Amino acid sequence: MKHWFLPLIAGLLAALPIAAVAAPVDRAGLVAKLCGDAGQMGEAGTALASIAATGDDADRTWAAALPRAAIDRKLACDEAGAVLTEGGLDAVTRAPREAQGTPRSPLLSLKNRPVFELADAAFALRTAPNAGQRAAALKILERRPALIPEGLLERAAQAEADAGLKAQIENLAQSAALNASDPAARIRAIGRVAENTNRRTLTQLTALKNDPAYGADAGFRQAVDAGISRVERGIAIGDVMATLYNGLSFASILFMAAIGLAIIFGLMGVINLAQGELIMIGAYVTWLVQQGLRSVAPGLLDWYLILAIPAAFLVTAAIGIALEAALLRHLYKRPLMSLLATWAVSLFLVNLVRVIFGTQNLQFETPFYVTGGVPVIGDFIFTWNRMFAILFAVVTLALTWLVVRKTPLGLNIRAVTQNRDMAACIGIPTRRVDMMAFGLGSGLAGLAGLALSPIYSVNPQMGQNFIIDSFMVVVLGGVGTIAGTVVAALGIGQINVLIEPLWGAVAAKVIVLLMIIGFLQWRPEGLFAVKGRRK
Amino acid sequence: MVKFSRRSFMQATGLAAAGLASPIGMPAILRNARAAGPVKLGCLFSSSGTMANLEGRLNYVVKMAADEINAKGGVNGSTIDVLVSDPASDWPLYAQSAKQMLQQEKVAALFGCWTSVSRKTVLPVVEQENGLLYYPLHFEGDENSKNVVYVNSPPASSVLPAVDYLMGEEGVSAKRFFMLGSDYVWPRTINKQLKGYWKSKGIPESAWKEEYVPFGFSNFQTLVNQIRAFADEGGGQPIVVLTVVGNSIPDFLREFANQGILATDIPVLGLDMVEADLEGLDTSKLVGHLNCWAYLQNAKGEANKKFLASWADYVKAKKVPFSPDVSIDPMVSAYDAVHLWAMAAQKAGSFDVPEVSKAFAGLSFDCPSGYKIAMTGENNYVSRGVFIGSVNDKQGFDILWQSKDTPKPVPFSPYG
Repeated sequence: MKHWFLPLIAGLLAALPIAAVAAPVDRAGLVAKLCGDAGQMGEAGTALASIAATGDDADRTWAAALPRAAIDRKLACDEAGAVLTEGGLDAVTRAPREAQGTPRSPLLSLKNRPVFELADAAFALRTAPNAGQRAAALKILERRPALIPEGLLERAAQAEADAGLKAQIENLAQSAALNASDPAARIRAIGRVAENTNRRTLTQLTALKNDPAYGADAGFRQAVDAGISRVERGIAIGDVMATLYNGLSFASILFMAAIGLAIIFGLMGVINLAQGELIMIGAYVTWLVQQGLRSVAPGLLDWYLILAIPAAFLVTAAIGIALEAALLRHLYKRPLMSLLATWAVSLFLVNLVRVIFGTQNLQFETPFYVTGGVPVIGDFIFTWNRMFAILFAVVTLALTWLVVRKTPLGLNIRAVTQNRDMAACIGIPTRRVDMMAFGLGSGLAGLAGLALSPIYSVNPQMGQNFIIDSFMVVVLGGVGTIAGTVVAALGIGQINVLIEPLWGAVAAKVIVLLMIIGFLQWRPEGLFAVKGRRK
Repeated sequence: MVKFSRRSFMQATGLAAAGLASPIGMPAILRNARAAGPVKLGCLFSSSGTMANLEGRLNYVVKMAADEINAKGGVNGSTIDVLVSDPASDWPLYAQSAKQMLQQEKVAALFGCWTSVSRKTVLPVVEQENGLLYYPLHFEGDENSKNVVYVNSPPASSVLPAVDYLMGEEGVSAKRFFMLGSDYVWPRTINKQLKGYWKSKGIPESAWKEEYVPFGFSNFQTLVNQIRAFADEGGGQPIVVLTVVGNSIPDFLREFANQGILATDIPVLGLDMVEADLEGLDTSKLVGHLNCWAYLQNAKGEANKKFLASWADYVKAKKVPFSPDVSIDPMVSAYDAVHLWAMAAQKAGSFDVPEVSKAFAGLSFDCPSGYKIAMTGENNYVSRGVFIGSVNDKQGFDILWQSKDTPKPVPFSPYG
């Protein structure tokens, strides 16, 4: 009886090498689970992730295709198990076969989806042939450090050939060690985690204050406090930057919507209620250019936003000129009638577009340069579509300023704005200037439509969203001045963005409107009054 | 001399009003195409304004259902004639059009309204005139009128099952809720009921946040920032309960995806989100977001196949300006509504509203959703199935969950 434990030790010793290679995978069972209910699918997902981490080569090659197939619903479950529909292979044996009867392709629940995405990324990290794919997989893993199966990162780091990527993997492995037993590893992990300055990190670190080590270990406490203050500083900077950026991007939208209106209003005193619809038409022209490129030159499709610039400008400018020549020139002496006439035109244009294109939102490709964004600091994300709008507004501003200040047309426009009769006396063709100015203003509206198409839905009604906002800008800025439009757009945009988080979007609109009314009581001419005699 | 009767004067004013509202759709307000059938039905759906893209298609589906019934010989021996109006997404205009249709055209029933606020403006009109309004949207409940048939579900059989699913083990075990809605009665009431519901489940008030935006709002940048901040505070899985309507839905989704938030991070439960809202969006970045309705286009069964085929044929035959391969719950509800009305009128052997109302009890219809929808004598609600849909990358919804049968509708919420 003395040596009763010997067989046990022998058994343990025998088991050790097996444990290191992990138990063989029950392939049929795993596939059955993949075809089961939500709970079973979740188990299958976790099992797949651990195969990616610790499974042997044969199992890993076998399992690698499964998570993607489940995510894409390319798994056809039938009586005999399942078939990978891409390639028509049996999921268990990988022998070619057809699915029998009416196969079912299970849908991942929201809870299981991240598990499978993680498993897919885990396989990619270990087996993807090029470093770019592995780096992308690592990004997915970084989103959910808590779900990463044990051992995955260590093995991936060992096998990684790319030095930079290897460092990144090790970095992630270290920051996953927040709850490790080794205090030094924990402190290192805190340092790593604090490099991501966002609110999630802050929550994570603040939770460590309740950790027993926080009271007991001075080094740990110091690391946590330093980490927290670092993250807090980052968040504060990020918040300020986000507010400025949001304000600026909103201002650029307001500016684009208002600048055409400002030029037309300033020059001719015509309130163009069809301005919003010209914006809408600019967006539709952009869409047509995209469709044209799709059929003529699919290789250039991504650049349709740039290629559509002249088209959007010219088409809306032509509509503006036609409008002026056919309708408005008869109504210059009757401002109220021109208001009604442009309103009628706006209704006409909305319905025309509705009849031709229908009321649904148009489908725009999102080129890579207006997709997604980069996290900068704290919770501030630099989104490319807004950046595109800002840059576009800046370029438009510069060009408009150049046209008005530096060209003969601009000189004429300014002369007519200041004193129409005198300008006519010295031989400026005021009729033609009117027409050109109307064309310029309308063309700018078309450009606004182009700039807004990556941000807003494009449909026949979209113009109505902008007309009120652009009026606020023009009236506040002082009619007809470019500088006024810029300053008013910046002011309204920024104030809106500052108020929104405090009192909500509804209150922001109301408060901004009240502020504008108040300001106009004090300065009825707006921020920048046009000097000179009018009429 | 021109004879000027009161009627022709009213018609002329009506036409002038319609002309002002929509120059192209000039005869839209009273398009009494054929005076063939003596029984008239009226549509109150906007084909202009912010709701146009959604409501517009319901006009056609009502006509399609009427054509189906006419092809089988009509109701009580008379064919159905459908009158269409355009209230231009402008709430007071709904009441005006309703009044005109009931008083002048003597329509046997009205089918209409999308937003709750438009229904609320029509409600006194139908009650006063003793008309009948079939309302095809799921809505906030807390209302029961003998003159309104609520074809779709109140929150107890649409919103609560979906929220329950998300809070449950099979969903995402949601613990925190960001409510974002358009500023009017439906979102506010839904959110009030949800808060009551969460309170009854012992969820603390700090676990939710409520924000409202004006109608037609589109600049969601700051709000999405706020949602990110809310989610990062920790304390359990956050979700967004989205009750913005109309064009705000695609604008929100676009910004949400653009800031890099996936459904697996923060799922959005879009309560007014339908297949048509995804048209034009790149849904590969939105996969997994949820909605809940009594019908989804991907519903299985012969009834749905038949419905989708007849809609596609109808769109082609009549050159309807909407997509032949998109079908949304309110379309199906409007379609059901016409059939339910026809069955009631047939059963009553009359078109008089009191007679028709008396015939409601026991009506049932094989809805394209695959459920047999039914009415009881208890109230004017219809019991229907519940679907939870999950956005897929083909601008549609996959069915994530559906109810076993049709829950009994509970109009008044105990949580509000």
